[in-house]
Amino acid sequence: MKYIVLGFTVTVASMFTACNSVIDIEPEFVLDGSQRFNNLDDYEFSLIGTYAQFRSTAYYGNASGPAGGFSTLPDMMSDNLTETGESLANFRQLVNFDYAADNDAIEGLWIAAYRIIAQANITLRGIDEFAAVNPGQYNRIKGQALAIRAFVHFDLLRYFADDLALNSTTLGVPYKTEFNLDNIARPTVAATWEGIFTDLGEAKTLLADTDKPINSSGNFSLRANIDPITVDAILARAYLYSEQYQLAITAATAVIDLVPLASRANFSAIWRDDNIGSSELIWSIPFNSGEGTPAANVYFASGNRSSFRPSTEVIGEYDQVNDIRYNTYFRINGSRTIVSKYLGKGNLSDGIVNWKVIRVSEMYLIRAEAYTNVPNNTTNALRDLNTLRVARISGYAPVSLMGQALINAIELERRKELFVEGHRFFDIKRTTRSLVRSDCGTNFTTCSLTAGNRAWAWPIPIGEIIANDLINDADQNPGYN
Amino acid sequence: MKKSLFYLIMLFTFALNGNVLAQEQQVTGTIISADDNLPLPGVNVRIKGTSRGAITDVDGQFSIQASSDEVLTFSFVGFEDQERVVGNSTVIDITLKLDTSILGEVVVTGYKTQNAREITGSINVVSGDQIKDVPIASFDQALQGRAPGVLIQANSGQPGASANVTIRGKGTINGSNNPLYILDGIQISAADFATFNPNDFESFSILKDAASTSIYGSRGANGVIVITTKRGKSGKTKVNYDFQYGVSQAPSHPEGVMSTEEKLQYELASGNPYGWTDSELTDLRQTNTNWEDVLLRTGYTQSHQISASGGSENTTFFLSGSIFDQTGTVPNTGLKRYTGRANLQTKLSNFTFGLNVSGGFSKLNNTFEGNSFIGSPLNAIRWSNPYESPYQPDGGYTQLVSGQPNSLQELLENQTLQNQFKGVAIGFVQYDAPFLEGLSFRTNWGVDYTQNETSRYLDRNTYSGFISQGQNGSLEKGFAKNFRYTGTTSLSYEKQINSDNVFSVSLFTEVIENDSTVFGYTGYGLVGPFQNEAGITPGNPLNGYIPNVRGNGGQNALISYFADGTYGYKGRYFLSAGVRRDGSSRFGAANKYATFGSVGASWIVSDEAFMQNLEGNFFSEIKLKASYGTVGNQEGIGDFDSRELFARSIYNGVGGIGLIGLPNPVLQWEKINMFNVGLEFALAKGRINGIVEFYNNVTNDLFLNRQLSRTTGFSSQNTNIGSMRNRGYEVSFVGTIIDGPDFKWELNANITYNKNEILSLVGDQDEFIDGDFITRVGEPINSLYLVQFAGVDPANGDALYISSNGESTNEYNPTDRVILGTTDAPIFGGFGTSFSYKGLRLDALFSYVSGNDLYNNDRNNIENPAYLFDNLAKVMIDEWRTPGQVTDIPAADNPFFSGTSRFVESGDFIRLRNVNLSYSLPANLIDKLKIASLRMFLQGQNLLTFTDFRGFDPELSGNLIGSQYPALRTVTIGVNIGF
Repeated sequence: MKYIVLGFTVTVASMFTACNSVIDIEPEFVLDGSQRFNNLDDYEFSLIGTYAQFRSTAYYGNASGPAGGFSTLPDMMSDNLTETGESLANFRQLVNFDYAADNDAIEGLWIAAYRIIAQANITLRGIDEFAAVNPGQYNRIKGQALAIRAFVHFDLLRYFADDLALNSTTLGVPYKTEFNLDNIARPTVAATWEGIFTDLGEAKTLLADTDKPINSSGNFSLRANIDPITVDAILARAYLYSEQYQLAITAATAVIDLVPLASRANFSAIWRDDNIGSSELIWSIPFNSGEGTPAANVYFASGNRSSFRPSTEVIGEYDQVNDIRYNTYFRINGSRTIVSKYLGKGNLSDGIVNWKVIRVSEMYLIRAEAYTNVPNNTTNALRDLNTLRVARISGYAPVSLMGQALINAIELERRKELFVEGHRFFDIKRTTRSLVRSDCGTNFTTCSLTAGNRAWAWPIPIGEIIANDLINDADQNPGYN
Repeated sequence: MKKSLFYLIMLFTFALNGNVLAQEQQVTGTIISADDNLPLPGVNVRIKGTSRGAITDVDGQFSIQASSDEVLTFSFVGFEDQERVVGNSTVIDITLKLDTSILGEVVVTGYKTQNAREITGSINVVSGDQIKDVPIASFDQALQGRAPGVLIQANSGQPGASANVTIRGKGTINGSNNPLYILDGIQISAADFATFNPNDFESFSILKDAASTSIYGSRGANGVIVITTKRGKSGKTKVNYDFQYGVSQAPSHPEGVMSTEEKLQYELASGNPYGWTDSELTDLRQTNTNWEDVLLRTGYTQSHQISASGGSENTTFFLSGSIFDQTGTVPNTGLKRYTGRANLQTKLSNFTFGLNVSGGFSKLNNTFEGNSFIGSPLNAIRWSNPYESPYQPDGGYTQLVSGQPNSLQELLENQTLQNQFKGVAIGFVQYDAPFLEGLSFRTNWGVDYTQNETSRYLDRNTYSGFISQGQNGSLEKGFAKNFRYTGTTSLSYEKQINSDNVFSVSLFTEVIENDSTVFGYTGYGLVGPFQNEAGITPGNPLNGYIPNVRGNGGQNALISYFADGTYGYKGRYFLSAGVRRDGSSRFGAANKYATFGSVGASWIVSDEAFMQNLEGNFFSEIKLKASYGTVGNQEGIGDFDSRELFARSIYNGVGGIGLIGLPNPVLQWEKINMFNVGLEFALAKGRINGIVEFYNNVTNDLFLNRQLSRTTGFSSQNTNIGSMRNRGYEVSFVGTIIDGPDFKWELNANITYNKNEILSLVGDQDEFIDGDFITRVGEPINSLYLVQFAGVDPANGDALYISSNGESTNEYNPTDRVILGTTDAPIFGGFGTSFSYKGLRLDALFSYVSGNDLYNNDRNNIENPAYLFDNLAKVMIDEWRTPGQVTDIPAADNPFFSGTSRFVESGDFIRLRNVNLSYSLPANLIDKLKIASLRMFLQGQNLLTFTDFRGFDPELSGNLIGSQYPALRTVTIGVNIGF
């Protein structure tokens, strides 16, 4: 009996001591954040991950279904594009302005934007401890993360704020400066602007002193990261939206002084991501093989599906013979005209092409528009307009305009230059005009959107209101309750 | 030598017990089974009231020392016990009768085998015989309707597709609801059975309550299906050959699409979007293609299996090999399977060694299904315009005018293949201690290895191939392997203390580790003559054929210690208890371990004297049982979900990391408290058997998406919040209506009612909405939450909705949404009958579900006027066009909203699941043919379905998304020959 008990005990004991370590498994194909971020290299990895989020399908990427909130959607929701019968009708609620707070695409964009902000905030989390380790690298990483954070909040403000004025006390978008799971309220538009300009200001300071150059200086098609020039360009855009015209002029000038417009010979190369030398492109989000496409929902190049065609009214505005943009932006394909800006790199037609976030031509247009709002600058405004036209239109003879005619000309030039670059809806919105689709096609059911309609400001997604006790129904945008 | 050793052990046993009495005589005998008149080895021969005993050998013979006043008891699992007074006999021959009482059955209950009498839990057994003829590759589908509490929904008719199996309701929302599958003691992957041969399976024990599943601890929450493979029996080698051949056809779709004339009329009335001219219209009217005829065909099923079993006294074997070949009703889909198995068991003194090895290889051709992708041929059945045909007069494929892919071309020119290899190998050693009867030690180790090689070839001329990167087709290859081992070591002791008291106790330790890796690439530019790897053109930035390479992996492990005990008193009172402590690699340091356990009791009421003396007692057997316990669930969450996780993220060709998971260090197991009470009875001398059970299962610490402010960048996080209850009844009956020597008629039926209810969510939150679904306290999960559609305003063609204050409105407002029903069927079951007359036998089985509602997204796509460029539902002819028109279809320019009750339908159906008519040759003919048995059968699977659901197939575990592959309706003939 003794032996039985002994044998039993030994067996049981061996059973229990066996391999407790079996369950101590560390992830290999993913990383545990709590064990990382011990040096600046991990912060740099996280910064790369932050940029990568811009390709998310709700932001600049396109995918089957509503996508591309900041790439193609602002033109679809305008008079630049007309939906065709080839469309799979996934954008119907958006382009007809039928959306309510439960719209999935709107919530998708809201989350995608804050996902970028979250990754930027992770990149900033605790980075100050390494400020002294390698100040140049620290400045380079932190400066870019701050600029991204400001830029994305600014993008959100464009859709979700009703009134974009600098001192507007209407509600803006939550400004998230830390990575955490806390709820956060909607501040005023003014407070949102303050966050944006604070971050951009600090980014500009930090990026002035980095350990190495951030972007290629020889081929501006490769400018994928934010450097001091990019920060100035973002500032110029933000100053224009917030109607700080003098500051917009200064910021745009800083960019224009460093980056020339592309020559007509190089213009089509911009859209093919070819080497265009040191000109034109300020910031592009690269799309490479396997990373999706930025504009397939307008023209799905590899499937030859033209879901949205250029509206006849926009085509009619170009000088079809002399304007380099006409042949670059449009192409006759079969019996129809398609948008040919985003066909692919080189000679490919697969739609895999960089998304152009900011080009220097926008700086000319910003500055021209700003000049028209600062007294006694008609000549300056006209000069910028003519400079851009001369660059794009062969044999162009500069015109002389003033007053409303000049303002209209700048607005039209902006529409023609920045066609399907994510501006049109916002340009009509921020200048509080009405949208009229004179070429409404057979698919749109809403052919106009008057100024003041609730649809100009997107609803705060219902999911946010349910989950966030600091944003209630009362904080919803006007008209959605 | 072996025999002498055996006796040595017997002597040793006696010596240890030291109870040998004087004046004994040697008693010998042979024990025969009444079933087949063959000797029974392994019968327990025991002297009543003592622990002395012997076991019959391979020839059914025993030898024992006993005195004349003692009584011998003969017992063998599955047979009725017998007793005999020794008296003056020195030879006692016994014929044991099969125990046909419900409490006499022997049931595999997971880690052990138990007599039905002493089981305190809820277990249903489906024998392998019941499903062996069913012409379906994945055995889970064949279990449909056969056991109460088990809801099995096929979802797809694609050969080899596995079903959705839910036991006693869905107990989790974010986790997995798949039961745990145990094959000969080791865990096998759920919902991946196409490469197993169902004919190798002896029985399926379905464990449903805590008393039976808590021994599986953190894996038992969704029930356990314990599969036992066939074993050899000592004696003459038996060889069986089974053959089956049949044809399958798809049903036709109940919701019609427009014909050419109807569609053209509709287009013309809607502004002629294609701008057809009169002469074009005349041409188009020449064609009227029924795309169902183009894309569906007759499928074929063929199977062969050969098996051999037998063995000597100490070694038994079962060997089998099979081929299964099934083509689906959609061209280019099918499954070919080859399997082999060897089960060996041998005894050497006190040791028993076993080895079960099986290998299977399957080749699966499939097509996209269950989506709303335009490249899915099964969507094209619905969407392709009838005025176009798949082929041009010159034999080439038609480019459809809508720009949609030509589905026949997609189907025939593209290939989606999966080659699966599955190897399951199990070995065990058992040691029955000679020094203490009833003490045994066992260690059982097994590996479940699955290797999938997938390949998708997209021809450059097809739409899918054209939209591939580089626009010249693609070849996608994937290689995935999953390796899991399960090792269980146990020490058990069983003791009959005296005639009234018996107990058993077991201690176990178990390790399970799972490793998976997956690797794949997609190559482009298949411009040459090759349709395989040789055809890939090396990529560069100029040609755009840059291949895509990917890979991933994961690992998790579980370590467990557990104990289990039973106690029986007077053969009619039984208690059982178990406790298990599990440690999992998936959770944070503070929550790695959890303890689960259960208690249960059963009482054989009919054995009580007061029952036996009761006048007019028509109960021949009554058993009451009850159990309570806790089990856990950790399936369905990621391997490392408790941590802040970063994954690879590439930007501009540079590698970085991006956040994919929010940290959640408090994440832990879901815990389910299960209560079960049941009554098992036999009436009218066993002519009617029934089981009635009630259960109440409450899941706590539910994995739930805690809604987050979206400003975190995430919409929700998986958290242990909330609780949910599944409460229900199960009733099952088997009745023998006629029980003649030649003619037998049996009826059986089972019904389950399961009520699911959310009890609490996070904090004071009482609901959250996820797409078309709402999770609300007091309501079942998967409740459809949509705006009520109230028809069409005849005045203006506007769709009408019912607003939250009950009024009709023409404005769609998401705040007007209401709960319309749940997609999970609360009522389900099966019923069947069998007749037999001499060698002739007819079996029929129906299964049914009731009470669920399904969103029909197919209709959402073909009743949407925005899609007029493609074909639409026939009902769209009635679209509102003129004021005053009374119709259900709103005007085309009325904003279309899909989230309404317009597309919600009842999911009720009854299906004639299987009907089988067979004839077994009588003995005199068999003898002449010099074979052991011959049976022929004619069988139909899914022949009839009664439903109002407007989809190909109502057998869905959730909403109908699109491209549905309907269940195969198969008729087969077959033959089983035994040698």
